Amino acid sequence: MFTQNFKKALSLLLVLVLMTFMLAGCAEAKETPTASAENNTNASNEPATASDEVITLKIYAQYADEDTKVPYDYAIEELAKVYPNVKLELDIQAQDDGQKLQSYAATGNLPDIFQIGAAQIETFKESGNILVLDDYVKSTGFGDKVFQSAQNLLWNKDGHAYAFPYAGNELVLIYYNKALFKQYNVKVPETYEELETAIHTFNENDIVPLAAFAKEKWITTSLFDVFATRLEPQGIKKLDSGEGKATEEAFVKAAERLHHLVEIGLLADGATNMNYDQAAALFYEGKAAMFINGQWEIAASTEKLGDTVDWMFYPTFSENQDAKMAFAGGGSAGGYAVSPYSEHQDLAAEVAAFLSEKYCEAKHLYRANPLLAVKIDPSLEPVNPYPPMMERLSEVLPDITSTTAFAWGLSNPQFKVLIEDQSQFLLTPDYSAEEFITEMNKSLERIHGQ
Amino acid sequence: MKRYFANKKAIAVFVAPALLLFLIMVFYPLTQMFVKSFYAWNGLSTGKFIGLDNYIRLFDDTVFQTSIKNGLIFSLFITVFQISIATVLAIAVSNIKIKGRNFFRIAYFLPVVLSITVVCQLWLSVFNSEYGMLNRLFELLHMDYAQDWLSDRHKSIYVIAFVNAWQYMGYHFALLLAGIKSIPKDYYEAAQIDGASTVEAHRKVTLPLLSETYKFCLILSVTGGLNAFTNMYIMTGGGPGTSTYTLTYMMYSSAFRAYEYGYGMSAAAFLVIECLIATLVINKLVARERITY
Amino acid sequence: MTMQNTTLQLRKPRKNTTGNILFKMGLWLYAMISLYPIIWMLFYSLKTNEEIFVSNPFGFPTSFQWVNYARALSEYNVPKYFFNSVIVSLGTVSLTILISLMFSYATSRMHWRGQHFARLFVSLGMFIPVQSILIPLAVLVKNLHLSNNYLTLILPYTAFNIAFSSMVFYGFLRSIPIELEEAAFLDGAGIFTTFFKIIVPNLKPAISTLIIFTFLQAWNEFPIALILITDNALKTLPLGLLFFQGQFTTDWGAMGAAMIIASFPTVVLYIFFSNQVEKAMTIGGAIK
Repeated sequence: MFTQNFKKALSLLLVLVLMTFMLAGCAEAKETPTASAENNTNASNEPATASDEVITLKIYAQYADEDTKVPYDYAIEELAKVYPNVKLELDIQAQDDGQKLQSYAATGNLPDIFQIGAAQIETFKESGNILVLDDYVKSTGFGDKVFQSAQNLLWNKDGHAYAFPYAGNELVLIYYNKALFKQYNVKVPETYEELETAIHTFNENDIVPLAAFAKEKWITTSLFDVFATRLEPQGIKKLDSGEGKATEEAFVKAAERLHHLVEIGLLADGATNMNYDQAAALFYEGKAAMFINGQWEIAASTEKLGDTVDWMFYPTFSENQDAKMAFAGGGSAGGYAVSPYSEHQDLAAEVAAFLSEKYCEAKHLYRANPLLAVKIDPSLEPVNPYPPMMERLSEVLPDITSTTAFAWGLSNPQFKVLIEDQSQFLLTPDYSAEEFITEMNKSLERIHGQ
Repeated sequence: MKRYFANKKAIAVFVAPALLLFLIMVFYPLTQMFVKSFYAWNGLSTGKFIGLDNYIRLFDDTVFQTSIKNGLIFSLFITVFQISIATVLAIAVSNIKIKGRNFFRIAYFLPVVLSITVVCQLWLSVFNSEYGMLNRLFELLHMDYAQDWLSDRHKSIYVIAFVNAWQYMGYHFALLLAGIKSIPKDYYEAAQIDGASTVEAHRKVTLPLLSETYKFCLILSVTGGLNAFTNMYIMTGGGPGTSTYTLTYMMYSSAFRAYEYGYGMSAAAFLVIECLIATLVINKLVARERITY
Repeated sequence: MTMQNTTLQLRKPRKNTTGNILFKMGLWLYAMISLYPIIWMLFYSLKTNEEIFVSNPFGFPTSFQWVNYARALSEYNVPKYFFNSVIVSLGTVSLTILISLMFSYATSRMHWRGQHFARLFVSLGMFIPVQSILIPLAVLVKNLHLSNNYLTLILPYTAFNIAFSSMVFYGFLRSIPIELEEAAFLDGAGIFTTFFKIIVPNLKPAISTLIIFTFLQAWNEFPIALILITDNALKTLPLGLLFFQGQFTTDWGAMGAAMIIASFPTVVLYIFFSNQVEKAMTIGGAIK
């Protein structure tokens, strides 16, 4: 009696277990090619163009909006011309703080080519999950094409190259609505005091002085950075590298003054929960006088506001009138990197360099963006002429005395998290500049103390 | 009969699949989590054993204190909200005299069916300071309650807890309803003879008989609250600043944003222990004796 | 016993007092608030970013943006992802229910050393923050050669769901009178027959509730799927949301369309299935 039922139940279990193993078996069969591949990394040393065989490379890249789709599509088109036998298999990058890439590395599944940010490069290089590209920088001629100003993006501080960068020294800009400034008879602020006056006037007239999508912590970081560069041209980069202290006058003043402006109504209500679409709408509809974003905003703002929009130099502090040409923002050491476990290492490195170069071309041609890491063929004419704001920026570029970094360009991940969180906090009225400095100082001592 | 309930073979067959699967898929990674909490490790390279340093650092970290506090607020809020509303609704829907019972039964559970992304986006729109429904409503009614719901350092956590509580109330509703349905009618008849009113009958019959159901409802919402993550991930990103961090969020932020995997794991380990204690306490507090008919 | 034992009928027919009316209004109001998100989601999927966030977050779309669906569909391999989601969810549901039923029977009604410990041990699964074990889990799945088939997701999902299901079954099992087994035992039935033929039918209300819970968990799960699925051919529906989130901007309308595609079927299925569950519950309750 018991045994009969026991057998029944047991056979059920057995079926389950068998099912598991069968499915698992399929997986094993599928996986063999990749497993054996790791042993012959040097097999494909001959130039890729030599054979007719189609080689598929796995690539992990951003591909979600115009800013990422246009360059990718353009680069793929160009790739087909030069490397007809290379096919790319795209794995779309998630906005997941690099989690997926991290787990790819942890499981030994890294795609041949992947986009990586500055901070993640550090953890990848420590664990040998990123190919040193020094030789390829020379052999592909990529190094010679990189602008002098972007050499620091290509070369890590340890003297090696880990990724082919494409974004150049991009900048944080404060845009303003000329019509609103005129209507309320406000002077475009050149100093902190004038900015204060502007805020008062706009608030009296129910206009939001500055629209910011402060739900995103990188923009809050950049806003603080704008203030920090008034007295310290290196801005937050000085804290990132560990050369500076949060208690220095430049940072204390920046925090105090920024927070003071927040208290007198610099931002819209609930700014720290506003996303890009909401903040941009305030500006486009004439409900906000100023807007802070990267220079890539030029295209969209011009489209919405035509010639009533322009950008301004950041207002200066009375202690240092020379800060006019010190800009916030900057390049990022991130870009296209190559897996050291790639079956076609040489080819992957060549393709990665090629892609980065083509990204720059696409940004120039279609995205009206001259802030690139790599020099491009001067004969390439942009599809649409640069908007006036970009023309003006291009004229100013040579005179810019310093740039800093965007949040994603920071090299110390712990500092990145710290400044992102704390700068957003600083934009809420019930936080205080003292709390900000104390927290920053305490954590920075730990981060750089070791 | 004793032999029946002590059938070793049967026990082995019943228990083995669950234990095996759990050991491999959950417990093994869990031990990894505890082990790594004693390391300085970025998630990829070979870590360095640092003993209790991560834990010592936790107790000196303001973010950790905020996270603990938020976890407790979140837990308490969703437990009270979900269990009280679910009780009322489940009793109402189980009452044959309520018209539209089927409709209610489906409607109350529907938010659970939706993806959490949709629900968070909806409430983000409702609570938006500038364009949100709530602030506009207050404006329309000339009431002075307009707030920065989600950008206030002290209030945001309650707003996020509310959204979670609202969405997952349906779980408790469904569990309690299933529980009520398995109560035999005799008990209510007995209560009727004693002359009890509806409310009294439920207080005397339904609630005590559902103590087992309440036990897992409590465990579900308390541990769910301590574990909260996705709601803040979508709605505030832990902000403003660090004011809506929970332990899970802190772990995520340390492990995947700051690449301090080991430190993140110490926060996670603390959280698991916290949940375990909560479960043990609930088990002790809610009556344990078998319900006999 | 008839079907009526599942519903309450109390002696005094209540009059429509003010309190009673207010209570009913509350019930309706709460139901409306619970239904609104579905309508909102439909509207949302047909709007532009500007409408969604600024000009018209709550109302009817001013001009139908069908193009959102076109964009969503162009990124999505709907039939494939849908099929994957169905397989993964069904696999998870059947394994979870079977395994946790057996486990909770052994821990609630049988007698053996360590039964309480085993129960508590498995309940650990309920409170592990999933993000904390993602990477060890990914390594494990790779080492077990489970990558690239449906078990990649089914096994972890099941393992995580066992905790909660077992706890619920445990609660219900404890309220079943012991006479059931005694009677079966006297009739000469073995333990497995008793379990499958007598005990399991008595748990129908709990089983059907948990089928829905587990299905929803598996259907909507995102973080584990994101990390463990490396093969495009195995992607499940929630992963489609990734296609619309850029670093600086998000195509919210298309994301809404993707969410409709991903979760509307579950809403429809739930409404349909819910009535079946209701029937099952009623019959289940009548057996005693």
